[in-house]
Amino acid sequence: MNQLSSRLQARWTWERWSYIAGLYLASIFAALILSALLVWATDGSWQDVFSAFIDGSLRNPGRWGLTIGYATPLLLVALGTIVAVRGGLINIGQEGQLYIGAAFCTYVVLRLGGPGPIVLIVALLAGATAGAIWAGIAAWLKYWRRVPEVLTTLLLVTVAAQLVGYGLKTTTLLLDRSPEHGNRNQISEQLAPGVRLPRVEIFGNSFPLSAFVALVMAVGLAVWLSRTTGGFRLTILGQNERLAQRVGISAPKYGTMALLASGAFAGLAGAMMLTGGDFGNYRLAPGFSGFFGWEGLLVALVARNHPLVAIPMAFVFGALRTGGGFLSATGVEREIANVTQALLVLALLVPAAVLYLQERRRQIATVEART
Amino acid sequence: MNSLPVNSVANSTVDSHNTADAVTMSGICKKFGQVVACDEVDIKLQHGKIHGILGENGAGKSTLMKILIGLHAPDAGEIRVNGTTQRFRDPGDARKLGISMVHQHFSLVPALKVWENVVLGDHQKVYLSSFWKVPQRALENALAGFRSNEKRTRQQISEISARYGLNVDPDTRVRDLPVGVRQRVEIIKCLRYDPKIMILDEPTSVLSPAESERIFSVLRQVVEEENRCLALVSHKLNEILAATDDITIMRQGKVVEHLATSEATAPMLARAMVGREVSLTLSLADIGGNTKKISGQEKIDSTGTKPALRIHNATVTDKNGHHLLDSLSLEVQKGEIVAVAGVEGNGQTALDHLLSSLLKLDSGYVEVDGEEVPTGVPGAFVKAGVGVISEDRHDTGCIMDMSLSENLYLSHPKDAVSGYAMMNRTAMSNKSTELINDYQITASGPDAPMWSLSGGNQQRVVLARELSHKPKVLLASQPTRGLDVGAVEYFLEQLRQAAKNGIAVLLVSHELEEILELAHRIVVIYNGKIVGEMSRQDIDMQRLGMLMGGISEAEISPVSDT
Repeated sequence: MNQLSSRLQARWTWERWSYIAGLYLASIFAALILSALLVWATDGSWQDVFSAFIDGSLRNPGRWGLTIGYATPLLLVALGTIVAVRGGLINIGQEGQLYIGAAFCTYVVLRLGGPGPIVLIVALLAGATAGAIWAGIAAWLKYWRRVPEVLTTLLLVTVAAQLVGYGLKTTTLLLDRSPEHGNRNQISEQLAPGVRLPRVEIFGNSFPLSAFVALVMAVGLAVWLSRTTGGFRLTILGQNERLAQRVGISAPKYGTMALLASGAFAGLAGAMMLTGGDFGNYRLAPGFSGFFGWEGLLVALVARNHPLVAIPMAFVFGALRTGGGFLSATGVEREIANVTQALLVLALLVPAAVLYLQERRRQIATVEART
Repeated sequence: MNSLPVNSVANSTVDSHNTADAVTMSGICKKFGQVVACDEVDIKLQHGKIHGILGENGAGKSTLMKILIGLHAPDAGEIRVNGTTQRFRDPGDARKLGISMVHQHFSLVPALKVWENVVLGDHQKVYLSSFWKVPQRALENALAGFRSNEKRTRQQISEISARYGLNVDPDTRVRDLPVGVRQRVEIIKCLRYDPKIMILDEPTSVLSPAESERIFSVLRQVVEEENRCLALVSHKLNEILAATDDITIMRQGKVVEHLATSEATAPMLARAMVGREVSLTLSLADIGGNTKKISGQEKIDSTGTKPALRIHNATVTDKNGHHLLDSLSLEVQKGEIVAVAGVEGNGQTALDHLLSSLLKLDSGYVEVDGEEVPTGVPGAFVKAGVGVISEDRHDTGCIMDMSLSENLYLSHPKDAVSGYAMMNRTAMSNKSTELINDYQITASGPDAPMWSLSGGNQQRVVLARELSHKPKVLLASQPTRGLDVGAVEYFLEQLRQAAKNGIAVLLVSHELEEILELAHRIVVIYNGKIVGEMSRQDIDMQRLGMLMGGISEAEISPVSDT
């Protein structure tokens, strides 16, 4: 928290907290009003829409468990994004890293024999490693040939999709060998029960154990960034590469590590989605990554690159997904439902942007007044 | 009036105002939040005169000038131009009245040619005005304007350049020009509008003494022969004394004194500016070869001991084949202050980068305490015990978005680690508070973001960090650039103390006064090479000047014999 507060300069006073809370409330309220108007204008019932939304994300049996299940990969991807951003690097290829991670995890689980828990752990590590390697390609190109990582990470998403698609068509790689899925030509075998992530059952809701792993990682990352020399050095690199070089922080070394870590988070997210059970029923199929890699970027953005803030934001984005799923049942046009969802995402982005701009403006005013 | 071929803006009858005040600003107030930048400021600028505005950093000089050119609106007060009250909504209004400013920082596009840079401002004007009036012809107009402007502008630049002896070629790319010439381009940009009132904000902050002198002789011509009015904002005493007719001194947003330059003396101005006595060890008059203060310094006995810093035949060539450093050799003993004198752009920056591990030598080597240090390897020099106050704070000195306390630990974060491999924030804060007191840093506390500090205090943070890690060698590169008199004195004293504590200090500076005050030994750098050396006892200003100007020792000897 120290770093964040020093960056915002203003102390975390009661006034500041209520100001920020007020900003978020006003913004969300505005989005809700706009959505209601939109639904009303297209002959829908906005009461139904909002109630469906709450039903879908929280109220109905088992729904908030699912929301947590959705929030988990979002949080992991966001953490990866934050690591890269702190080092001054922009990794926007999480969608691909996540997909590759899931694919390698699938391969290891299906091909490696042995006691379930060990296979599971090895498979999760394989997923993280694959994600790291995928981001590592971008790091290698950046420091070997100065190709901007923004481009390479993005373009590698397409490559990842094609590669996994090929794997899913090939029996020796990922394609299901049993005849019962003969009608679908791109799908993996289902994971055996012994190699699935245990699920936590509370009050009729269930979510995979990975939620706790992500939570611990978020806290760990926050501590690492603000309390260790490693995190401090990474931040220095992100702020000023030349100064970093002077004080002994090698950009290729730290930058590569940051991108590898970033990819590993995404790869792990993919592996945990697969073994967790909320996605694809323990099977890998095209489209498995389901835009979680992209949405994780938004979570990091809304959280203003702070790991702890990313936790509630990931939950909110998860809720937007699960709640959105119920909207179609209200008879509202699908497009309108999508716009409503998008408005809520915007409502979360606006306060973050406003806070950032205000801070910059104050900074400029202070500096200007001095000269 | 002269006959500048200008798209004539407000070409009014200047001659009738020969004696009248060009600008009268009275009761000007301006606040930024809680900060009062200008408080009841009165000032009068006259035609045909250079008016110096002197003040420390943050005295409100720049704000006042920004109000005059319409960049800021004053909270209170009145501006009269040629006797009429004016209200500027934007800089365009001020420009119409012939008020033009040369800003402190260059606003040139390096990739464009000189003449292209000069017309840049026009374009926008053509574009915007025609855009609102006749949208469909906007692009057409802009393009036509661009083509017809080209020839005229070049001619204009050549003409202005010839008339004032500015020697600027309109077809050179700005990135190929040295800073001195860039400053002249800025002045051409300003003169092209045929301004009646010119404002120069610290025009010489990056210029060598010779370059500054040249600029000022041009400005003198502009003002006297063409009866323009010029305001010169500066915090250099000798510059103000040498170049102006009247002086206004500001302190903390208020005017403390108006006086004619003929009545002013350096100590008097310094006193008015900082509000206390400043011991300018060498005032202007002393520079002409006076050595009385110099004998007070003890000589460092260097026989037999190995140097703390030894640079041997360092050579670096950039990708254009230009020598950044050319077999540069120098040694600094423990406790010695060696000053590198020279005109800017002769390898000082490369020296800075070399000792910041940012530059890899093509040949030659660097030793610290007898141990060779690999060049261009991240952190190698920090590890070897070389502290650097870099010439550009923003580049390699500090991080504006981090807190003061974090900035103090940039080079040695491990010092903050205590137990469990965690950085101890409380210990960092305590240590930082100590350093804030020791180095008299003005800040709201250890958690204050670096950007909230003034330039001088940021520089103190850098000094505190570098010295607190007890370096063997300290490179101080332009350590006092942009600082006010009081702060300069403080920095020089700190460097002297550092040397007394056994640190080998290498001082790189464009300020001769500073070098003469501190150095045990002076070496002169020219074109990436050390071309001469003299110890404190036998400083010869004439020789020093000639070495800096690129005249070799061999050429000098016969000259000084005559």
